[in-house]
Amino acid sequence: MRLSALAWRSLAARPLRTGLTLLGIALGVALVAGTFLANQASAEAVERAARDLYGNADLRVRSFDAQIGLTQRAVDTLRTLDGVEAAAVVAERRLTLSTLPGDNERVFPLLVIGVDPADEAAVREPALAAGRYLSTGAPNEIVLGVAYAREKGLALGDELLLTGSRTEAPVLTIVGLLEPTGFGALANGAVGVMDRSVLSEAFDVPAPITAVDLVVVEGEIDVVQEGINREMAEPFVVETQEDAAAELGAAQAGFAGISFLFGLVALAVGAFVVTNTLAMTVSERTREIGLLRAAGMVRRQIRNLVLRQGLYLGVIGAGLGVALGVAIGAAMIAILGATRTVLVSGLPIDSQALAVAFLVGVAVTMFASWTPAADAAAVPTMDTLRASQRPGRSLWSRLRWIAIIEVAVLVVGLVIYPLTRGTSPLATIVVAVAVLVGAGLAAAFALEPLGRIVSSPFTWFFGAGGYLGRANLSRDRARAGLTVAAMTVALGAVVALGTTSASADQTADRWVNSIMPGGYAIRLPIPVPIDDFTPVFASVTGTKVASPVALFPAVLDDDGVRREVGMAAIDPTTFEDEGSLIMVEGDRGVAFEALRDGGAVLIPQSFASREGLTIHRNVTLDLPGESAAGFEIVGIVAYSLPGRTGEASVIMSLADAEALWGVTDASLWAMVRQPTVTAATYEGLVAAAAADNAGEPLSAQQVADRLTRSLDELIGLYDALALVAVLIGALGIVNTLSLAVSERVREIAILRAHGMTVGQVQAMVVAEASIMGLVGGLLAAGAGVLMAWAIVATSSHADFAAGLVIPWPLLAAVALMGLGISALAGVYPARRAAKLSMVAGLKGYE
Amino acid sequence: MESILEARDLVKRYPVGGSEVEVVRGVSLSVKRGEFVAIMGESGAGKSTVLHLLGGLDQPNAGEVIIDGVPFGSLDDEHASMTRRTKTGFVFQYFNLLPILSVAENVALPFLIAGVSVAEKRSRVEEVLEMVGLSEKVNHRPDQLSAGEQQRVAIARALAGEPAILLADEPTGNLDYATGAEILDILWDSSERLGQTIVLVTHDARAAAYADRVLIVRDGQIIDEVRLGRRANHDAGPLIARLAQLGL
Repeated sequence: MRLSALAWRSLAARPLRTGLTLLGIALGVALVAGTFLANQASAEAVERAARDLYGNADLRVRSFDAQIGLTQRAVDTLRTLDGVEAAAVVAERRLTLSTLPGDNERVFPLLVIGVDPADEAAVREPALAAGRYLSTGAPNEIVLGVAYAREKGLALGDELLLTGSRTEAPVLTIVGLLEPTGFGALANGAVGVMDRSVLSEAFDVPAPITAVDLVVVEGEIDVVQEGINREMAEPFVVETQEDAAAELGAAQAGFAGISFLFGLVALAVGAFVVTNTLAMTVSERTREIGLLRAAGMVRRQIRNLVLRQGLYLGVIGAGLGVALGVAIGAAMIAILGATRTVLVSGLPIDSQALAVAFLVGVAVTMFASWTPAADAAAVPTMDTLRASQRPGRSLWSRLRWIAIIEVAVLVVGLVIYPLTRGTSPLATIVVAVAVLVGAGLAAAFALEPLGRIVSSPFTWFFGAGGYLGRANLSRDRARAGLTVAAMTVALGAVVALGTTSASADQTADRWVNSIMPGGYAIRLPIPVPIDDFTPVFASVTGTKVASPVALFPAVLDDDGVRREVGMAAIDPTTFEDEGSLIMVEGDRGVAFEALRDGGAVLIPQSFASREGLTIHRNVTLDLPGESAAGFEIVGIVAYSLPGRTGEASVIMSLADAEALWGVTDASLWAMVRQPTVTAATYEGLVAAAAADNAGEPLSAQQVADRLTRSLDELIGLYDALALVAVLIGALGIVNTLSLAVSERVREIAILRAHGMTVGQVQAMVVAEASIMGLVGGLLAAGAGVLMAWAIVATSSHADFAAGLVIPWPLLAAVALMGLGISALAGVYPARRAAKLSMVAGLKGYE
Repeated sequence: MESILEARDLVKRYPVGGSEVEVVRGVSLSVKRGEFVAIMGESGAGKSTVLHLLGGLDQPNAGEVIIDGVPFGSLDDEHASMTRRTKTGFVFQYFNLLPILSVAENVALPFLIAGVSVAEKRSRVEEVLEMVGLSEKVNHRPDQLSAGEQQRVAIARALAGEPAILLADEPTGNLDYATGAEILDILWDSSERLGQTIVLVTHDARAAAYADRVLIVRDGQIIDEVRLGRRANHDAGPLIARLAQLGL
């Protein structure tokens, strides 16, 4: 008989164990394949969104200050440049729309883009999920992002009003729904596109022209760029499709890397299960191996026999995993699309990615098979023919290969990572996997001592079952240890996610509260005169202070290095009095005093560490066309107000901004409540004032919720991935205990002969599983926190500036989850144990 | 003397391939309190199956087993297990001990199963271990003991709960002659000094010669009974002579 046939028969003879192992491999590979496809969909979506945003345009000329925009004269200049074939104007305004007045009136904040439909056709053709695009000569039409419309319950034909606009503003009809690409990809899909003329006429101040997209005659790009530089008389930035892709892609940062990490987690858990299963099979078949050796089979053939089994498991499992991975990828893409957390395209069937997932699965399985194969080959022939086999090697010598396998997984991960096109720091993955390796090995070594400690309740609850269940853990420490290691790694991933999420949530809360004095604000769609509007907002009932904040871009010059920065001009006294802005470096009192005195700025910590700026350093700030001024950095703050692209702004005083650059308009007012008015009442009053002025009311809580919602939705998806890993770990427990029951048939018969009931036998197996799960859960709590620490420590500081937050209830829940899932996993082997015939068990050895 | 163990018309069939094989065919017997009975027969005669039926490890297809007045057939798992725990003690040929437990824990197993604290029964455990000569090895693991010592631990475990009857299935089958004799001496001693009722299954006439009475089993039936009587001398001669007459 050929070796391959022997290997195959060995697998076929144990259908349950083989099936469970295949399922474990398949799930691991499926997660890798699924995350590959989701990452691919994300990357393709970004590319497509940028491509569709530009359409035929080769260049985008963007206004330096999006709130001021380009003038009509600049637009005309660009249109008439030599080499420009077509030009399309884009105006932007954040505003609120509402349904028609009535009982069910609803209000929707979103980004509205104004275009000239007549010019659009020459530049781009938006992708529509339903309906049609804006038509020339029908200005009262609007198209909305499809996911946003669905979320808000809006449909084609519905009518909307521009809230706070002039009373004669026309009713807008929804004529189309945009796919999440091009304009539809902006602002997470919370976007509408309408006729620019109507958008501008609806307000006292026209919507600022934020960009002009230019279609350039082939070969004339340099001529056009020279013309732009020569003719444009106002501040601008020239961008290309690549710039748009980079900006859109920045929002995806982290997704690819972290999802890939969870693919690795699942594979690592799968590797534990494979190693354990094959080791168990070898242990069980030791006698057979001895017979084969006695019959003349050489060690190499024995090793190859086990490796072939690994190969078969790997090929079949990975094949199934790839198929399952397509389904998981589709599900991930559907979830991401529905929640609008990450830009995704349709399901890409990327044969290269699937082939890589398949090969990774086979490679990991082969790695995991190596130790059992080497063990099988190394067993002395005479030992194998003895009736009773006992593990002869130390725990470490049996497990050191696992460390090598894990390192191999890491190496494979690092090699294939570029395929995911992720932008997450590799350091995060490297450290996280290192934590997993440590956790897995620690679990194997800590099982027995920790099991002894945690087993008391089981002995109390299950009696003899609990006592013997705990004792059984010492029977084969390597096997039980590996089983627990798999569960530890999987549950550790759940803990890491929860801890990371809690840390990010706390950061968001602290961030928002620190930049929003009083906890409330009104944001207007355009900058308006501070002197006119401050009295209006200050007169809102219950207001202690209405403090304007002017947001505008500037250029920061640090020893000749110039970079565009967002500026936030504030009233230092309000921020100081309300305890806003968390100083990381610098004396708070001195810093605010310096701001009031002038010539000083505060910079956000993320910006300081990225640019290498330190306190007391002098920098120069200027606005295009305005004079430059020198400033001293008097403090570094943990968080700052977000600028145009979401990056934290440099903070200066309003007095400086007005004196140096004539800034007299603002679009944001911080609203500080008098203690005599309740928070709920004041929130309503602020909302009313915002509506009266075509503005958007903000509350710290609401903004923090919005900030964390996207992350929470992503975390939810990752949790689902981690739970698949937990499922693989549970399969490992079923596998291990099923074999254990088979091995202990005689022992169980002896126990029954001495009066143990069926229930006690079941309790013994379930207790054994439960103790393994509880130990795994407890170790996972520690490993998960460590992994979260690694993620937090290697991520940009702004994301987790509040530091590591340990969610104790989650840790307790995961420990209990380990207990519960493992107990469930123990039910099947327990039932098998209960059904064993005492006589058959005794006869097996007599 | 009252009967402590009674079997009436026991029949046991096992499925083999597509048909059934009757391995026990109408066995009836009665064992009196304190009696030492051996069941002898060749391999495959059905003697172990009879023992399994007597101990309630298996259910007969027909007939009834009554231990200390309790009919086994009428009991559910809970009560059958309790009856085994309180009325019987078992000693088997191989792998009698749980390798994960110490000697003392193995001996205390019946108490553990009964939900009685091991500490509470420590003196009893020490007592039976002393009886089998293993007082010094209470904390040893089974793999640190010789085969004979392991079997002595098994006997100590079987006796620990002071069962009404001790059932031993080829307890010396895996031991050399001298060690086997030590085990049989312990069993006989427990019968002689403590009045322990013992049913011993063996194919070895020298082992069976320790018994008061020997039942000869062939083809699933008791074909003869040899009454040896209680004696300190365990000479197997008379039994061997009788077996020879039977052609065994």
